[in-house]
Amino acid sequence: MQFKFILRSMARNKVYAGINILGLGLGIAAVLLIFQVVRYELGYNKNFSRYDRIVRVVTQSQSSEGESWNPCVPIPAMFAIPDAVPELTQVARMREFWPSISVPGAEDGTPPKKFLRKDPSVAFFTEPSFFEIFDLEWLAGDPKTALRDEGSVVIIRSEAERFFGSWQAAMNETLVLDNVARVTVRGVVEDLPPDCDLPINMLASWPTYIAQQALYYYDDNWGSCNSSNQVFGLLADASQLGAAERSLAKVGEKQYAENSSTGKADKTHRLQPMSDLHFSDKLNNSAFRTITKGRLKVLSFIALLILGMACFNFINLSTAMASQRAKEIGVRKTLGVGRGQLLRQFLGETAVVSVLSVALGVAVARLCLPLLKHISDVPVEAPFLSLPQTWAFLVFVTIAVTLLAGFYPAVVLAGFEPAGALKNSVGAVRGGHRAWVRQSLVVLQFSIAIAFIVGTIITLSQLHFIRTKDLGFDQNLIYTFYYNNDSLSVAKLNTLKNRLLQAPEVEAVSYNTDPPSSGNSWMSNFAFPSNAEDADFALQIKYADTDYPKTFGLRMAAGKWYDPSDTMKQAVVNEAFLRKMGVEKPEDAIGEDLKLGGRAGIIITGVVQDFHAFSVHQPIAPLMISTQRDYYYNAAVKVNPGDMAAAARAIESAFDEVYPEQVFEGHWYDETIARFYEDENRFANACKGFGVLAIFIACIGLFGLSSHAAARRAKEIGIRKVLGAGTAGITALLARDFIKLVLVAFVLAAPAGWYFMNRWLQDFAYRIDIQWWVFVVAGAVALVGATLVVALQTVRAALADPVESLRSE
Amino acid sequence: MLSIKNIERFYKTGPLTTWVLRDINLKVSEGEFVTIMGPSGSGKSTLLNILGMLDQPDAGEYLFFDEPVHRFNEKRRSELHKHYIGFVFQAYHLIDELTVYENIETPLLYRGIKSAERKAMIADVLDRFNMVAKKDLFPAQLSGGQQQLVGVARAIIGKPKLLLADEPTGNLHSSQGETIMELFAQLHREGMTIIQVTHNEKNAQYGTRLIQLEDGFVRDDAGVARLNV
Ligand SMILES: Nc1ncnc2c1ncn2[C@@H]1O[C@H](COP(=O)(O)OP(=O)(O)O)[C@@H](O)[C@H]1O
Ligand SMILES: [Mg+2]
Repeated sequence: MQFKFILRSMARNKVYAGINILGLGLGIAAVLLIFQVVRYELGYNKNFSRYDRIVRVVTQSQSSEGESWNPCVPIPAMFAIPDAVPELTQVARMREFWPSISVPGAEDGTPPKKFLRKDPSVAFFTEPSFFEIFDLEWLAGDPKTALRDEGSVVIIRSEAERFFGSWQAAMNETLVLDNVARVTVRGVVEDLPPDCDLPINMLASWPTYIAQQALYYYDDNWGSCNSSNQVFGLLADASQLGAAERSLAKVGEKQYAENSSTGKADKTHRLQPMSDLHFSDKLNNSAFRTITKGRLKVLSFIALLILGMACFNFINLSTAMASQRAKEIGVRKTLGVGRGQLLRQFLGETAVVSVLSVALGVAVARLCLPLLKHISDVPVEAPFLSLPQTWAFLVFVTIAVTLLAGFYPAVVLAGFEPAGALKNSVGAVRGGHRAWVRQSLVVLQFSIAIAFIVGTIITLSQLHFIRTKDLGFDQNLIYTFYYNNDSLSVAKLNTLKNRLLQAPEVEAVSYNTDPPSSGNSWMSNFAFPSNAEDADFALQIKYADTDYPKTFGLRMAAGKWYDPSDTMKQAVVNEAFLRKMGVEKPEDAIGEDLKLGGRAGIIITGVVQDFHAFSVHQPIAPLMISTQRDYYYNAAVKVNPGDMAAAARAIESAFDEVYPEQVFEGHWYDETIARFYEDENRFANACKGFGVLAIFIACIGLFGLSSHAAARRAKEIGIRKVLGAGTAGITALLARDFIKLVLVAFVLAAPAGWYFMNRWLQDFAYRIDIQWWVFVVAGAVALVGATLVVALQTVRAALADPVESLRSE
Repeated sequence: MLSIKNIERFYKTGPLTTWVLRDINLKVSEGEFVTIMGPSGSGKSTLLNILGMLDQPDAGEYLFFDEPVHRFNEKRRSELHKHYIGFVFQAYHLIDELTVYENIETPLLYRGIKSAERKAMIADVLDRFNMVAKKDLFPAQLSGGQQQLVGVARAIIGKPKLLLADEPTGNLHSSQGETIMELFAQLHREGMTIIQVTHNEKNAQYGTRLIQLEDGFVRDDAGVARLNV
């Protein structure tokens, strides 16, 4: 019965019902998508049943530059931990590596099969205790023995299928890692889910690591802390975290003090709970992706804002239309209906709208699911509507929207005095006494929308700034790839270089540890000049051959590049180094020497102009570039403009010719650099998407309000026309009220937008200044949108035949 | 002052054509006080709207001070209307959101009359209609008769040549209606041309000429034998 009335009333007010359902539906879709992101991120690593008790041992370092965190643990410390920390019932030593993998060819001459690494994936050298900490699903093999011996590996099901056709066929088969280490498959485990920060594709036994010391930089030294050497442990009880950390603090205390220049330990080990692994802003993980809880909170807040905006539309339209219902309410009241009953009736009406909106929202969210990749890491295949959490959330949203959107209008409507309601004089004087609530909500909506636009423009400008900034080196037309730096391969490097230079497309080839800007960093303590005390900060180092400056277009500030050498004899430093060391003229540094670690007498032959060795988030730091041929594993090929695909093919075929057994994987360097700013891209995309949505929701709300105002004021418009008002005058009269609100919104949103975006920009060491025109554009977009929407309604009203609207029945 | 020739007005609803006015011919001279009477639906309001340039005939000619109104575009029509014609409605049609003072002021605003002059004109009219005390009230706070007084004041504030009134007393008590009619009589004496529509025989007596409409035709057009008042 009730339901019939509600549907009938909606049919009568199709436009308003449509606006409500469309606005709420889109709002709910946005909320659902954000829910999916937040739920997905919060679910990380929960596949491990001992999630609450798993910890990672990490290193906290103190220096004059401040504290820094690293997931590294020196290998001797790894061995000390089990005895020193009884609170950890299990401890697993781990070493990350990213091997190229091939299946060796047979005796009969079948060629080896090479496999490209899938991204993201990581391999670990580890020990059997790993399986006591992380529960994996075993398909074949025995967790107790599979990683006991040298040359044993356990692989995941999908890799087994890729290498051998089926996982059943994989057991006891041979694989070659990085062209050198022959290993045997001793176990197959089920794949790990995508929402896991240990995207393991292979586990190899610890003895294999020791056997391949040179290949994998096994350094059994208290002074060496490599972020790939990690320790995970299992607490007997999650509450023992503090106690375990206290025990852990003693590990290495003495050795770190001995190694430090101040004589006091500059490092201590701490524990990072598994529940922090995905959310830390200090420590990276093996998936190379973290997201802070703060970011998730911002996303949730955005969801709340969008949903709020949609609810405001509902509130505004229902209270604006209240006068139309005043009569119905008056009659009902004289018939003796109670306030409570009326409240329930109106909330019931809202509930119907909510349910329809949620249905629309679910449909839109499903359609938009693939768009999530532009703002997050959530894979399209991640379960969504199949999850009970999603449905529970939908029920929650339905109830929340019903109350949020319906409660205030219901109170307003139910509160009408019957006498006044019957005379229909509600709001007759000066536009009604509730108008300020509506106006505030419209102002709030447009403030949010304008703030989003400001955010979009500023993020896009900063991204543009980054993209077009002179980084101090060339990033275009450079193709990079890794090669294995075992001695056999290194011996053929010259052949490769000559072979590459024969290709007409190739201009220069450089072997190095890293391109000028990369996520990697090699740091070392140093002294300048050699006989001075060690400086109290670490120097950043890159190793590269003499073709490096030519390949990357580096510019010299003074002196010249160093001479060819296989080992570290000469070096160039950057301008930041001179500034930090107080050398005023670059020429003064030429011929000076410095000491790196224990190695003294490295001669400075030149000063390279500053370039960005990291993303523009970080200031340019003191840097040294020198030679060390054994360390290189990265090749960079500068090609001439033209057919880039052909150039890439030529490079690959040269590589295949020289290294038939190695896996080739090349990347264009500018694309690699663009990936540094994936996060910013996503932020800009989110701003864009939610900004458009916010503007849209605000505008359809305004559309409803202005069309209602035009209808309500049809008589007045008719009178004014009869009295001589022109179309323009009437349009202005109606539009003015709404445009005013947008202007107020602008005044509120501009400083708020400035404040938040200014804070966002602080994260960049190199950033744009916020220009005044950003606000003008944002305001103009909102104003034009609002004006168009309002004009649509008001022009129609202004053009209406006054005789029609004034005809008295 | 005005003359209409062979005016036709009809509405098409689907295949049906409803004739509202058929072959109306009419001449009104300055200073006349014309009353239009006729049964409901006979086309009185339609005729008045056409005369007031709020509506257009489907055929026929309309000369206003020898100007061919039927050839004008909407803009020129509304200019003419704005400057020469005042309109009084049965339902008053005051703007609820404006005070008495502001309601009367509105047509002057649209004519672009300066503020000082406006003030003087409104003060005059308020004075004349005995409404000075009520100038800050809103329409909802007035009786029907008072609202219609404001309606008349608003119609004549711009000193129109022609005053059109569509059943101006239709919603009023007879005593309130009389006040309005007395006012019309006085305006007429002062030289204003008035055309009114009414159902009330007594009101018709105020006029100098009576036109009877029936089914869209003029049935009768004659001078009014004045009652002895
Ligand atoms: N927009 C319209 N569409 C169709 N018929 C209309 C319209 N306006 C008026 N009419 C018809 O025209 C006739 C005359 O109306 P009107 O001039 O208002 O009569 P009166 O004022 O004499 O009562 C009526 O029958 C009415 O139904
Ligand atoms: Mg009529």
